[in-house]
Amino acid sequence: MELLMDLLNIDDISMKFGGLTAVSNFKLKIIPGELIGLIGPNGAGKTTVFNMITGIYTPTVNKIYFQDQDITGIKPDKIAKKGIARTFQNIRLLDNLTVIDNVMIGFHLHLKSSLVSAILRMPGYAREEESIYHKSMELLEKVELVKFKNEKAGSLPYGQQRKLEIVRALATGPKLLLLDEPAAGMNPQETKDLMGFIQKIQDDFKLTILLIEHDMKVVMGICKRILVLDYGVTIAEGNPEEIQNNPEVIKAYLGVDVNNYA
Amino acid sequence: MKKNNRKIYTIIALIILGILIYIAENNLDAYNLRILNLGAIYVTLGVSLNLIFGFTGQFSLGHAGFMAIGAYVTTLLVLPPWYKEMIFILEPLAWPFTVLHAPFIIALLFSGLFAGIAALLIGLPVLRLKGDYLGIATLGFAEIIRIIANNIPQITNGALGIKGIPEFTNLWWTVGVAVFTIYIIKGLINSSYGRALMAIRENEIAAEVIGVNLTYHKVMSFVISAFFAGVAGGLFACLLTTIDPKAFMFIMTFNILIVVVMGGLGSITGTVIAAFLFNIFLEYLRPIEAGFNIGPIEIPAIPGLRMVAFATLLLIIILYKQNGLLGGIEFSWAGVSRFFQKRFSSKKSSEGSVT
Repeated sequence: MELLMDLLNIDDISMKFGGLTAVSNFKLKIIPGELIGLIGPNGAGKTTVFNMITGIYTPTVNKIYFQDQDITGIKPDKIAKKGIARTFQNIRLLDNLTVIDNVMIGFHLHLKSSLVSAILRMPGYAREEESIYHKSMELLEKVELVKFKNEKAGSLPYGQQRKLEIVRALATGPKLLLLDEPAAGMNPQETKDLMGFIQKIQDDFKLTILLIEHDMKVVMGICKRILVLDYGVTIAEGNPEEIQNNPEVIKAYLGVDVNNYA
Repeated sequence: MKKNNRKIYTIIALIILGILIYIAENNLDAYNLRILNLGAIYVTLGVSLNLIFGFTGQFSLGHAGFMAIGAYVTTLLVLPPWYKEMIFILEPLAWPFTVLHAPFIIALLFSGLFAGIAALLIGLPVLRLKGDYLGIATLGFAEIIRIIANNIPQITNGALGIKGIPEFTNLWWTVGVAVFTIYIIKGLINSSYGRALMAIRENEIAAEVIGVNLTYHKVMSFVISAFFAGVAGGLFACLLTTIDPKAFMFIMTFNILIVVVMGGLGSITGTVIAAFLFNIFLEYLRPIEAGFNIGPIEIPAIPGLRMVAFATLLLIIILYKQNGLLGGIEFSWAGVSRFFQKRFSSKKSSEGSVT
């Protein structure tokens, strides 16, 4: 008997763009509560994997299952509703909206009030809007962004924008969170804070996290399991120590066969 | 600012507006009334275009088409059957329009409804396009509507147009519809659905990934926008008392676009002000077309010179005030009270503690 159902089960998917195979035969099973790292050189196909999981691309071969449901080819908004949220490598905030609006929009997919009751500001809707506001404020308090709540999201400092994007993803109430290079462009101190932050939200929100990152300190520091992609092929999988000593990985990153130096 | 206070202020403002309309209706001449009526219709048109263009970020140039649908529906419904039989000389009027007859308000509702249905049908395939491509596609739609109107004389009387439409439209109707439009669209914008629309404008991919159903929200915004354009078209027909397909050429959409850009994309208050300014300017710039003197230089009469003046004005706005005349500031009672508080506290040498 299986005690733990797989949260996400990626079954041997491939993604081809014309003649180019961006990702081939990618397999990944994630059980609830894991924090997994996905690494690889530039252009290895890491973000393509994210795009397939979130429905922006549909894999050309095979299927993706989330909580044993087939989510292949479903639209991104439906996938978000099922409980997968993500951030982007190049931050995609709603720049001209306020910080609080950026968080409140995350709750929109769970809105129960109809369009008519929202337009006419009926009591039921007013209550729902108020509860969304309070929940958003709670989230902002947790990440110490409350003081910026009426600022435009685009005017925040870079590090805060990254945080805000994660908070917006959290507002959708995800079970699985995909983070695309959360530490990109951060200084060592910010990176250190971020590591603590990721672990904290994982505990607080009982999340499962899949993480793309180039900063090895982050990946080796917080991920229990790491996958390495190179030219769309999974070349290694294991715990940080195994990955660090894997000759295939070193070859992919340094471009040389270590054995030649021996 | 308390919620109840806001309601009271709004009611007082509406009463004052009513009194103003009453005074205007009884004292102004037909010329000035026409300008005000057109201004109010442009408010409805501008605010509705702002919903789809300014708030949802979908570049639509189809407003003239929706207006045309609304204008023809209203016209065919408010004209009495015997009169319709008389004026359709090219081809006899097709059933069921020969028997249909409805009061003005029902006709306006149906105008909006038909424009909305048209928007639904065209929006579903076309709203997949983005930016300029969407603009071209919706522009094409508006032209198709105009050309169809030209070529089905059994319904529209073709290029001859329809004359003698009863002049139902007055300031009560135009301003009433404008206020209703603003109420509905402001309600939408300030709701969670409105946030979703603005999310689509800001970043489509991000919006979709946080669970905003793009098709539903875009089409919803497009349909509501078209509904009000249709109603405005009905008002327009009963103001001018005569319509023909030429009235709904691209220049019509362009005029509305000017109003929206002048007022500021995503600014309802700006659109309202710009709508009236546009119509007032357009009329009062007429004298310059008659020729005038700048010192010793004599400018001859050039028809269309006021449009040149207008285009220059528009260029200046686009160059120096990209956010529109008001720079994106929205009217709110809280804002008004802040304004007065500032005035008073500065007179009292500012005792501080502004909450």
